[in-house]
Amino acid sequence: MNSPRPALASCSGDWIRTPNPRFLTHVGQAFRPAAGLPPGAPRRSAAAARKGCPTSSTERGFSRFRRDPLLASLAAVLLMSLPAAAQTKTWNAPKTPDGQPDLQGTWTNATITPLERPDDLAGKEFLTSQEAAEYEKRIAQANNADRRDLPPENDVGLAYNDFWYNRGTKIVGTRRTSLIVDPPDGKVPPLTPQAQKKQDDLRAAARGHASDGPESRALTERCLLWPTAGPPMLPSFYNNNYQIVQGPGYVAILVEMIHDVRVIPLDGRPHVSGNVRQWMGDSRGHWEGNTLVVDTTNFTDKTRFRGADEKMHLVERFTRVDANTIMYEFTVDDPTAFTRSWRAQVPMRRTESPVYEYACHEGNYAMAGMLAGARADEKAAANAAKTGSK
Amino acid sequence: MRTKLAVVMVGLGMLLAAVPVRAHHAFAAEFDSKKPVKLRGTVTKMEWINPHAWIHIDVKNADGSVTSWMVEGGTPNTLFRRGLTKDSLVEGTEIVVDGYQAKDGSNRANGRDITFPDGRKLFLGSGNASEGAPSEPK
Repeated sequence: MNSPRPALASCSGDWIRTPNPRFLTHVGQAFRPAAGLPPGAPRRSAAAARKGCPTSSTERGFSRFRRDPLLASLAAVLLMSLPAAAQTKTWNAPKTPDGQPDLQGTWTNATITPLERPDDLAGKEFLTSQEAAEYEKRIAQANNADRRDLPPENDVGLAYNDFWYNRGTKIVGTRRTSLIVDPPDGKVPPLTPQAQKKQDDLRAAARGHASDGPESRALTERCLLWPTAGPPMLPSFYNNNYQIVQGPGYVAILVEMIHDVRVIPLDGRPHVSGNVRQWMGDSRGHWEGNTLVVDTTNFTDKTRFRGADEKMHLVERFTRVDANTIMYEFTVDDPTAFTRSWRAQVPMRRTESPVYEYACHEGNYAMAGMLAGARADEKAAANAAKTGSK
Repeated sequence: MRTKLAVVMVGLGMLLAAVPVRAHHAFAAEFDSKKPVKLRGTVTKMEWINPHAWIHIDVKNADGSVTSWMVEGGTPNTLFRRGLTKDSLVEGTEIVVDGYQAKDGSNRANGRDITFPDGRKLFLGSGNASEGAPSEPK
């Protein structure tokens, strides 16, 4: 992929695109469009200013943009055509017969680049190509390491070597050290005190009841939803495949993990009523130049993506940057859960592999196995207590 | 040797930081770390089901009797992309399974490591599973 441009990119995470105001339903204050700026145009965040990021020519000419709408819209179009991953040349996205930019095909986001920057890479936003090669080698070794030297508790938890997984072997083409590009530290921002308390309370209530019945197990184990299946869509350790299909007025995304399809209308209809809460939220799309912008609200409080609550407002952006890559970006805004909004960037690469059905519940023997395991543990504990009391 | 171990440990640290090291479900909830098993048996059936495939084997005991085991494997989609087909593990194939037995004592184990008796890793000609995944875009 393209080589990184650290000088730009080190501060690029601070450029927040404003979503189309039509779709601002219960969006936080952070995303109110700046006055005089067209929807979709980047603006400089307070964080960027605080950090002393170099003022761009865009910002220097900012007041001119406000005076000159033509210049402003020209600049907006130019900037929108620049994916955050530093596009080096103009690439003309093909169009569908009805004129939409063509995102169709099967894509994979498999990568070993983590969502959050590992602590040992703190302060380092990009790897050099040599560091990237070493990192990839080390991760491959670790994934395939013979773990029988580890304590058996770890071994049984780790379960599989890489043969069973399909998480990719490469870091992202931008050589970023985290998928999160903003905040600049590459970490999910801290939860608000109220969200933290809620999470602590939920954990406390679940303690000792993790295997009471199927309902108390994780959503993944119940085959309901995978936290990386989204939205937002993130790489996991397998089934990182997506099929995008477009028809007049709609985009549909089939996610291999748990095999759900998200059908996204593009006709500008409002979100469903606030009292309707859905596992995958309620998505509405529109085009900004060659970028598909998908706005999703109406989540449930059951998915809790990275600590988010049902008020999560998600804006995803899909930009085809070359024949084999969609640059997928998403911004999570949830002021009651997170202390600030955050943004990640995940390249999706074309794959020849078809998407296979993952009918997760068809042979979920593990559910019975885990509950039987818990009953066995309880019996063993009861017997131990009985023996001890004699 | 010490260097090698250090490399493995550093790599592991990065792995733990990099990816959630869990399969579809919590293996530690299903299998008992105090019951490691090494099973040598012949395949009687391969269940190609989601979320994880199960391999059924018959293990001959010292006294000549036979015990049937179920071994939990990877997700079928991944196995297929790795090149495994219905013809890869036909009935009667002998395999060796390193894993852990189910907590409830039933004859189920996780297939954390499966090889042929001559040491070849199952389904792969390569020693390194991370090389050449068929679905990996080049």
